[in-house]
Amino acid sequence: MKALEISNITFSYNDQPGKSVGKTQEYALRDFSMTVESGRFHALLGPNGAGKTTLMRLITGQMRNYKGEVAIFGRKNSDKDVLSNIGYAPQPISVYTTLTALENLRVFGVMAGLSDDKIKQRSGEVLEETGLLSYAKKRVSTYSGGMLRRLNLAVALMHSPRLLLLDEPTVGVDPQSRNHIYETLKRMNAAGVTILLCTHIMDEAQRLCAVVTVADKGCVIFSGEMKEIGNLEKFFLEKTGCALRDY
Amino acid sequence: MFLRKLKELFKKEVLILLRDWQTIMLLFFMPVALIFFMTLALQGVYTERLYERQIPLVIENESNLPRANMLEEKIQDDKLFRRVELPEDMDRDRIFELGKAQALVIIPEGFDSGEKPVEISFDPVLDYGYKLAIRTVLTSLTVEVVMGIDNLEAVVASLIVEKEKPNRYVPSPIQQTVPAYAIFAMFFIAIPMSTGFLKEKNDGTLQRLFTYAVSTDLVALGKTIPYYIINVVQFFLMMVVGVLIAPYFIGTSFHLGENPGYMIPVTLVVAAATTGFGVLVAVLVRTHEQASTMAATGAILMAVLGGIMVPYFAMPVFMKKLAMISPIYWAHQAYLDIFLRDAAFSVILPKLIVLTLFAGICFYIAGRRVKWI
Repeated sequence: MKALEISNITFSYNDQPGKSVGKTQEYALRDFSMTVESGRFHALLGPNGAGKTTLMRLITGQMRNYKGEVAIFGRKNSDKDVLSNIGYAPQPISVYTTLTALENLRVFGVMAGLSDDKIKQRSGEVLEETGLLSYAKKRVSTYSGGMLRRLNLAVALMHSPRLLLLDEPTVGVDPQSRNHIYETLKRMNAAGVTILLCTHIMDEAQRLCAVVTVADKGCVIFSGEMKEIGNLEKFFLEKTGCALRDY
Repeated sequence: MFLRKLKELFKKEVLILLRDWQTIMLLFFMPVALIFFMTLALQGVYTERLYERQIPLVIENESNLPRANMLEEKIQDDKLFRRVELPEDMDRDRIFELGKAQALVIIPEGFDSGEKPVEISFDPVLDYGYKLAIRTVLTSLTVEVVMGIDNLEAVVASLIVEKEKPNRYVPSPIQQTVPAYAIFAMFFIAIPMSTGFLKEKNDGTLQRLFTYAVSTDLVALGKTIPYYIINVVQFFLMMVVGVLIAPYFIGTSFHLGENPGYMIPVTLVVAAATTGFGVLVAVLVRTHEQASTMAATGAILMAVLGGIMVPYFAMPVFMKKLAMISPIYWAHQAYLDIFLRDAAFSVILPKLIVLTLFAGICFYIAGRRVKWI
């Protein structure tokens, strides 16, 4: 079964409400298609400006003014209820820093439609999973970078999603936290959760993922099994070139 | 489910606000401090200045004849004045430069025979109200001496009677400052509203909410209602300060008027206007610096125009007309209608309509301009 099916997505920020159309229409995504099979650990790679974060935003329903289709477990994401299948850990650490971890998990748990009992149960589980249980009642503003990243992930795991979207989940963290995150993700995947991982860390992608899609300038330029690729970094640079991407 | 999510967003917003001491200081302690200090400072602008403050005045009696001496004595004994002596080596014109006196009265030779009038000079920085008061008192005293009347005030009292409402000083500084600075502080809600909105946009928590099955309407309400309620609470806390606490420190009491119940609809509408202003600032700015500057400058400007910093009655005609563009003017006047004028609700209603329009325009523009992502 396909956990995620993206068909011919074309998207421009110029088309968004309130944005004036410039002389040249620049597309963040152009005729972009990819498929993530259920239960797989899938890497989405690309240099800056490839459209990875934009794609994540479209999948999670944050932006809707695009051409093409996004289907999650066979249902179009225009149906808001389908979003409950997705757990999303965005690249910026998107948690309320003046609240505690438990309070954060409660806010997002309620948004996901969980009952009070379920929130209580899942908060304990995800905090245990991410190694934050003993800091549950501390304000997030006191957390280290690694703890913040793990909480960012814990929020995404809160409602037991079937599809996990991770946008650079280990950026800026120490090796210990990074390893903890890797182990958590491996356990999640082993438990049947489909994971789409956006990252710039090639070792991370190669270590964790079974499938890889490489995108550049809003288009898919490669999609295939990771085992077919020898050195991922070398392969990536061959596909996308060595020129700097200063966006 | 909608209400449960709204309740959670409300709770989240209140928790964030209550844990931000700068915001608490801004919304609750700043107006209390302003009420206390401005009430004390404004004592001089209201009635008490003529009875509790004495104006330093130099009397130069060049005549020394009976009428001149009598006038000198009457001026010296008047409770409005405190006689100061001109140092021997000092030129009369320099007395104001040194700040020793605020008025100079010269009773010239020839005053008794009616050949020369009494001369008055004022410190150039003295405001018009003081000049008028000094001139009025000196006129009365001079008339008493010239006409041979023992007490002109007693004569006038039988002709003109000032009626005051029972148990109330109208107006008193506290009646001006309590509603004035409560409204002023309510408009400062725009600072935490706009900076909070920007912070959540920048750190991605706002966008993250939209990855769940939540609508923009829900998030908009979740970000607006808490501030609206805080505004209402803020106002009523200021009333508590005005009625129960301020009199112990300031000595004058704050009166709610004969229809204090009207405060409820007025405050609900004023809070809508202040929240509308906050929402508008939140969607127009791009940085925290812009948010703080626009919200604070906007609130201060509206307060200056609206008769908060300088009481409306003390403004010149042009400024009185200009005041009407400020929502704070309409809000303040609506409260003064309740607290001082005991006005009927039909008198207050047009002010509420203006404030509702202001709120509506703010929310409409904000709705058109908002970028959630």
